[in-house]
Amino acid sequence: MFAAAIRRSSTRALVARYSTSTSSVNPAEIAHFSRLSSEWWDESPSGEFSFLHQMNPVRVRFIREKLLEVARDAQENPPLNVLRGMEVLDVGCGGGLLSESLARLGAKTLGIDASEANISIARLHAAQDPGFASSLSYQHTPAEALLAESDKRYDVVCSMEVLEHVDNPTGFLDTCAKLVKPGGHLFLATISRTALAYFLTIFMAEDVLRKVARGTHTHSKFIRPEELTEFFRTYPNTESPWVRGQPTRTQVEVRGMVYNPLSSSWILAPRDAWGADGCNYVFWVRKPNI
Amino acid sequence: MLKSGLGIARRALGRSLSTSAHEDWDIVIVGGGPAGLALASALGSSQLVRESLRVALVEASDLSKIREWTPAEGAFSNRASSLTHKSQTFLRDIRAWEHVDETRTCPIEDMQVWDGVSDSRIEFSSSLLATELPMARMTENLNLQRGLLRHLANVPQVQILDSSRVQSIDHPEGSNWPLVHLDSGRVLRSRLLVGADGFNSPVRAFANISSFGWAYDTHAIVATMSHQPRGAFMGPNTTAYQRFLPTGPIAFLPLSPVASSLVWSSKPPLVAALKASEPDVLATMINAAFRLPDVSMRYLHDLILDAHASGSPLAAPQVQAEVAWREKSHGIDAMSAYTSIRSTVQGIPPADAELLPPLVTSLQPGTVASFPLRFNHIDSYLGEGGRTVLVGDAAHTVHPLAGQGLNLGLADVECLSRCIEQALTNGGDVGSRTALLPYAQERYLANHKVMSVMDKLHKLYSTSFEPVVWARSVGLEVLNELDSVKTALMMEASGKDTPASPWDSAATVVENLAGVKNVVGTSLSSILRAVSSRSK
Ligand SMILES: Cc1cc2nc3c(=O)[nH]c(=O)nc-3n(C[C@H](O)[C@H](O)[C@H](O)COP(=O)(O)OP(=O)(O)OC[C@H]3O[C@@H](n4cnc5c(N)ncnc54)[C@H](O)[C@@H]3O)c2cc1C
Repeated sequence: MFAAAIRRSSTRALVARYSTSTSSVNPAEIAHFSRLSSEWWDESPSGEFSFLHQMNPVRVRFIREKLLEVARDAQENPPLNVLRGMEVLDVGCGGGLLSESLARLGAKTLGIDASEANISIARLHAAQDPGFASSLSYQHTPAEALLAESDKRYDVVCSMEVLEHVDNPTGFLDTCAKLVKPGGHLFLATISRTALAYFLTIFMAEDVLRKVARGTHTHSKFIRPEELTEFFRTYPNTESPWVRGQPTRTQVEVRGMVYNPLSSSWILAPRDAWGADGCNYVFWVRKPNI
Repeated sequence: MLKSGLGIARRALGRSLSTSAHEDWDIVIVGGGPAGLALASALGSSQLVRESLRVALVEASDLSKIREWTPAEGAFSNRASSLTHKSQTFLRDIRAWEHVDETRTCPIEDMQVWDGVSDSRIEFSSSLLATELPMARMTENLNLQRGLLRHLANVPQVQILDSSRVQSIDHPEGSNWPLVHLDSGRVLRSRLLVGADGFNSPVRAFANISSFGWAYDTHAIVATMSHQPRGAFMGPNTTAYQRFLPTGPIAFLPLSPVASSLVWSSKPPLVAALKASEPDVLATMINAAFRLPDVSMRYLHDLILDAHASGSPLAAPQVQAEVAWREKSHGIDAMSAYTSIRSTVQGIPPADAELLPPLVTSLQPGTVASFPLRFNHIDSYLGEGGRTVLVGDAAHTVHPLAGQGLNLGLADVECLSRCIEQALTNGGDVGSRTALLPYAQERYLANHKVMSVMDKLHKLYSTSFEPVVWARSVGLEVLNELDSVKTALMMEASGKDTPASPWDSAATVVENLAGVKNVVGTSLSSILRAVSSRSK
């Protein structure tokens, strides 16, 4: 059970309480989850997930611009709504922050999470919004089970802020990678294992500022961007890896995300900005087109 | 593993959330004034918005009156605003300006601003701006609104629901999506609700947004003035004039070669008396207010007030005789630019003629109106939890002394539509706090700066507290301070956005002068020190 996108201790407690219940929806549960949902979706600075809310537009921008860039390599003037019609899987979707954005951009989006509470939260929130006719669905499942259960593969697989919480990152990456169609895209966002990351995400965020519940992060689980790139140099095997030779922008890319406390917003660091990927970063890799 | 579920959740939620049937919209704008219509136009001009959002604008009045507005040749509405270069650029960018009848607008190329007590004067000129557009353009609000409506006629994606009054706004339990109830019985549920509904904003009340402000003990009298064209030896009528009298500033803003707009701020009883006077009396008083020394203006004010109070208002010849007598006692001769009694403006104009506006000959019938002046600024541009924002007068009302009211509203609209597009690009929910926070941050700060400069200027000039008047009469201080306001206006006008806003420096200088005011309250010697140290 390593795919659990358990992000906060409060959510963890919930999972313990609700993971055994069935999926049938009753009014008491609805009331309960709509309260949780409004907490999850509380974007104010006092909200528990405010950092995620602030980060989300930057990640979407990275995804969209990367896909647009790839589309431009293939055709002169690709449509700007590059996600329209794409099949997208959001692994560890939490309350549905990223899934909703991708669905709004026209992607046929499936959000999955190993926490049933998260899935209920995400569903309830999306149900308020008349904009998601058939473009967005959620499923309570770990990624491995989804992979085992059907042959369906996706144009884009995203997994944001999950990698740093899983116990077996290699197995997790393998599952995600297998869910991508040939020629498709894998996007990850996570935290690097650096002294800066330790300082910002554990010492400052958990211990000093208490922005994030204590125990949320374990420094040794953080993965450096070069380790991810390295992984795909031999994945799935050394003969035909996803990344070969000098990494080029058509195979893999890492971009740092930098927080500006003055405007309480995140910015995507420019390409190759020195040290910007020392903490939070986004990662993209493309599956070869065989 | 149940894969659907959104449907079940939605049905369950639907039952608990609302009882009455409603329509779903992405953006509902309340208010079809200039700000609301400009927002609708800006959104309608964006392809991304047209493709992704359903936008409705609700207005209580019947907008066909504005759509079909056909003013008589030479007649001008009394509500006209000076649109800065920046506002014009925005309106051009959204392709709304091409629907405004530009022949009814008038460029302001120069400005003459002076202190009514010390006569220290400052001049502004468009030629100092490195742009082709004039620094501002006088535009009737109706002309702008009609242009915006014409622009919107080509944008079926934006629906206008006029003759529809918002009766109440609430939200269903457990949801922060506003439900807007119209008097027609329609209920609109909106992802984002925009209050462009003016000073008494019902949207502001719904969103529980508090505001900070006060009414000035000042009203403004507006009118459309007719006058002779400028003589052959003078420039065209493209100069705006403003004189700061201790009772408040009086402004003369060009509309055409023979018509200009008046905005005269003064004490409420005087405004009431002037408004009740016969039009020729008001015209005479306007001419005098730009020309006579302050001491004589105060005398004339008292005459008007007394006559008004006694129920036998003065006739025009009486007032003209008074003015002529005061001119004589000040040594203003019949050939001077400072006499209001000259009957014609032929031949070679007197020296200094360009320092003063043309002589008003009459007021256009039905254009004299007045309104109270207020300072009001909301504490937050964003309702708690998102989903509601305010723009225009709903967010701020400002003293008209620099004609910034509508420009601030248009800047709000420009910023909000930019944030909405930005959110759409990134798949954001345009009603979410995350999408709207940049708007709230940017506009609060920007408007606050401009508004406080306007407020402090008003206070500084309206005091007759001796030491301050004396400090003003020294001249230097006033010039310095006007100079910083001038820089701010010019930068604003040229549309240059610098990280350190020019309003910052203007605010600092005005602040310092206000500081002088406090200092002089304690002793005269301290002001002497303050002034001499500051003029080094
Ligand atoms: C009498 C007067 C004279 C003025 N003269 C000048 C001037 O000479 N120069 C200048 O620069 N500025 C002047 N101003 C200020 C200037 O008009 C405003 O800055 C400008 O109109 C603000 O535009 P707005 O769109 O924000 O608000 P408004 O123009 O006030 O528009 C608000 C709109 O909301 C609508 N509305 C309100 N409540 C509801 C409801 N419940 N349901 C549906 N619709 C609703 C109203 O009908 C109105 O159309 C004047 C203001 C007033 C009141």
